[in-house]
Amino acid sequence: MPIKGGGFSRKSQASSDVPNSSMADIAFLLLIFFMVTTVFQKDRNQPIVWPEAEATQKIDEKLKNILNIWVVQDGNVFINDRPYALGEVSNVIAPLYVASDRALVISIRADREVQYTTIDLLQKQLVAAGVVRVVFATELEQRMTRERR
Amino acid sequence: MAVLDKKKSKVSDEVPSASMADIAFLLLIFFLVTTTFPKDKGLAIVLPEEGGEVQVSQRNILHIIIQPNGLVEVKRGESPQVQVVQPNAMEGIWRQEVSDNPNIIAAVKTHPQAPYKFMVDVLDALHVAGAERISLQLFEG
Repeated sequence: MPIKGGGFSRKSQASSDVPNSSMADIAFLLLIFFMVTTVFQKDRNQPIVWPEAEATQKIDEKLKNILNIWVVQDGNVFINDRPYALGEVSNVIAPLYVASDRALVISIRADREVQYTTIDLLQKQLVAAGVVRVVFATELEQRMTRERR
Repeated sequence: MAVLDKKKSKVSDEVPSASMADIAFLLLIFFLVTTTFPKDKGLAIVLPEEGGEVQVSQRNILHIIIQPNGLVEVKRGESPQVQVVQPNAMEGIWRQEVSDNPNIIAAVKTHPQAPYKFMVDVLDALHVAGAERISLQLFEG
């Protein structure tokens, strides 16, 4: 009478279960990996002193539809971390404005001490690019500081 | 005293570690849901479309001229009379002007050398006073 299985014990010693206990560790590892490698598409803040205004309102627009134009104290203009001459602004903004389906809001983030002529030229460039909605970015001014001034 | 030896507690002194991951995920989801990113804020204006200039009668214009030293000259229409005020006084002046003439338009003319903050101060005062028709220009002459 032949022995079943030819006399060899075929039963495998390896468990057929997926190990459960380390699943959380793997999940955390993935989480930390993606947290570390994710880069948000956002421009760096330029060193400016914010103007203050009491009527400061929140901009009711999605973050991706807001484009920041930084004007630092010496009058240099930065868009998406790159410096531009004032005359180029219109050519830079116009394609972005069309690409956003004319929903783009321009946030002018200018230093308090910038000469107004720079801001005026910037506005003319924006008008030439067809931009309609513009925000002068300001910090909220409290009544108290206003009365002290 | 063999009876006293049997008093050893059966309660484990280890913190249960099986549910630690669940707690961590719970915290994670809680903070994910409650986090709000700070929104951009500022004074919103609407720029005119190119070539969309409109002729406005001088009677309906309040000229607001911002000097480099921060003083504001207010001129009504064509009258030569000039009133010199601080930027934060604009709020009261605008309320007064609107009650006199509801069609009035604020023409904010800033001197090229004037710092941006003075223009923001005047714009702020006009916004607080509820002004909607504001024209931002460069002061020439």
